[in-house]
Amino acid sequence: MSNKQSKTIPRRAYLKGAGAMGAIGVAGLSGCLSGGEGGSGGGGDGNTLEILHGWTGGDGKEAADALFGAFEEEYPDIDLDENPIGGGGNQTLDQTVANRLQSNDPPSSFAGWPGANLQQYEGVLGDIEEDVWNEANLKDAHAPEAVEACQFDDGFSAVPIGSHRMNDLFYNVEVVEQAGVDPSSLTDVNALIDAFDAVNTQTEATPFAMSLAPWSILQTWAVTMLGTQGFEAYTNFIEGNGDEAAVRATFETLGQMLENYINADAASVDFTEVNQRIMSGDAAFIHQGNWVAGAYINEGLEYGTEWDAVRFPGTDGMYGLHIDSFIYPGENPSPEETATFMRFAGGETAQVQFNQYKGSIPTRQEVPTDEFNAYLTDTIEDFQNATEKPPTLAHGLAVPQSTQSELEGVLNQNFADPFDVDAATQGFMDTV
Amino acid sequence: MKRVLAFLRRRRDESRARTDGGSTESRSTARRWLDNDFVRSAPFWGPPFLLMGFFVYAAIGWNFLLSLTDYTGFGGADYSSLDFENYRRLFEDPAIWEATRNTFVLLVVFTITCLLIGLGLAILLDRQVRFGRGFRTIYLLPFALSFIVTAQFWRWMYNVNDGIVNQFVGIFGIGPYNWLGNPQIVLGAVIFALVWQFSGYTMVIYLAALRSIPTDQYEASRVDGASTLRMYRRVIIPQLRPAMVSASVTLVLFALKAFDFLYAVFGGYRPRQGADILATKMVREAFGQSQWAYGSAIAIALFVLSLAVIAPYLYNQYTRGNL
Repeated sequence: MSNKQSKTIPRRAYLKGAGAMGAIGVAGLSGCLSGGEGGSGGGGDGNTLEILHGWTGGDGKEAADALFGAFEEEYPDIDLDENPIGGGGNQTLDQTVANRLQSNDPPSSFAGWPGANLQQYEGVLGDIEEDVWNEANLKDAHAPEAVEACQFDDGFSAVPIGSHRMNDLFYNVEVVEQAGVDPSSLTDVNALIDAFDAVNTQTEATPFAMSLAPWSILQTWAVTMLGTQGFEAYTNFIEGNGDEAAVRATFETLGQMLENYINADAASVDFTEVNQRIMSGDAAFIHQGNWVAGAYINEGLEYGTEWDAVRFPGTDGMYGLHIDSFIYPGENPSPEETATFMRFAGGETAQVQFNQYKGSIPTRQEVPTDEFNAYLTDTIEDFQNATEKPPTLAHGLAVPQSTQSELEGVLNQNFADPFDVDAATQGFMDTV
Repeated sequence: MKRVLAFLRRRRDESRARTDGGSTESRSTARRWLDNDFVRSAPFWGPPFLLMGFFVYAAIGWNFLLSLTDYTGFGGADYSSLDFENYRRLFEDPAIWEATRNTFVLLVVFTITCLLIGLGLAILLDRQVRFGRGFRTIYLLPFALSFIVTAQFWRWMYNVNDGIVNQFVGIFGIGPYNWLGNPQIVLGAVIFALVWQFSGYTMVIYLAALRSIPTDQYEASRVDGASTLRMYRRVIIPQLRPAMVSASVTLVLFALKAFDFLYAVFGGYRPRQGADILATKMVREAFGQSQWAYGSAIAIALFVLSLAVIAPYLYNQYTRGNL
């Protein structure tokens, strides 16, 4: 403002006026907000079946294509809008789902973990026990653990689509042979550490390929606890009755492995990058969910002769349980179509179509295994014969999402190089 | 709008068109009010202010209100019981202190380093070096790239095993360092990458200011026998103050937006220990854990922090009569 004008109106007057206008703006917007909250979202004819999922590339995309292709073939009249949302693991998907649910504009269904993970959606999920579970008789068809995981609020809010195994230790056969190690003889974690030493001395390869992403440390921590402290100690921990000595011992063992035997760049690479090193022979062992097997198969590597898997030492007879599912939001935009889809997803066709490409196995029992590769066939067999199926800590089954996130925070802060056993133990005991 | 203006003008003219020397005391209050410059100018500055008030300040106000609730998960916020619980939690959360410290360090070190390097480059380029234009483009280029792209570059360059940074320091027999993995150095590594990206921008700002200084002043100080160093220190650099102030405000704002860079480098909103800033913590709490109210409280803390940094600038402008 020039001085000439400020003779007639001081610039303070403008500021005051501006302030007043701003206040009006604030009042106006808050009016809008409170008025707009109850607004209906979505719209449309209510018949489009919209499904959000995170399978955007690789085997995930192939699996999703197979699943939705089979669905469209069986129900050509249903207008399907499958909406893959990739990026940041499932971060972007979860955020989109959260925003949609938040703004009262839920999709028909979305892919996510069942179990304790469902707790975060308290109040916005619907019950499909009658329309889906009873009608398609899924309760008897699926493994009891999967049935239990999909229960929520005295009803059912999800349908399992497949399961990855969490307690497999994968290895490059050639490297391991060169080191003179026989993986099938590794009965406890100490033997595994000896094997790491052998790889270190006999070969150029990294003994234990690892990404220090918090979720990755968490899943390896869980399997280490299962392997060293046993199923009961693990169950006690996830139920909130953890024994501090067991937690500490797990951290000590894990620390020993992570401090001495992993790749130097573990803190800044993701699991796909380190998994490459198993395939290229630059690393010997890796612990991951069995989704990594998909990469070996896609790369054309031979199961049993080029790569192989054993149970993580100490977890023989267990099946580390991970479940993917479709979750059913309440106030569903297409209740009938969604129920049809959910019944389909729990059925044999969908489970076989999806899992054979995804590298996971059906949670449905007694499915024909002829469509599955040798590795998955073995896994299905183990799933059916497993004495214990500990739910995964790092993928929503065992603890609610907020707890899982806090555990990851503790690891990121205290156990992602440098490794502070005391602080991490304290953090875990305080969190769960 | 035109009609409103015409109407206002007519009213004004009516009241002014008294050529008989009669006084204007009889004007009604309403007319006097309409005649006011403030009211007459309102149609021009009013709409932008309403929009700003609506979309910026109202959002901040609403965010503050949210931070007083205990809004988590889904469903709506309950505005009936408001308290400062989230702020108490903020003060007791050690992770917040660490994030605040990192944010502050990032802000200060990044801004000062960018200003210094930008100034150095601008002076060098202003001295008519050969290929000056080419260098200018090269220095400015990183600024044109998005955070996502540069973050990917630095991820590769900082790789422990085969990154070029370790290859380089290896020549001098040091390293290799785990730049993005070691909590002691990760923040430094992030700041370095950001400085690389933004010092070109400060260079351009300084260069424009340098070019606007008349050559007489260089010549006069030469004639008076000043050395080059003395000339810059006593004559030229003091005149760059306005450029420095505006560049530092922009840099501070970019530093607060380092979220994008961290998100891209660490593949998510959980950066490595030692590199967590308030922005990443805020998003993690709000969108990762659905702790909307707590996330809002962190947002307010971040807002206050940036106000604290900007306040001296605003005050400076105010005392100079620019505000």
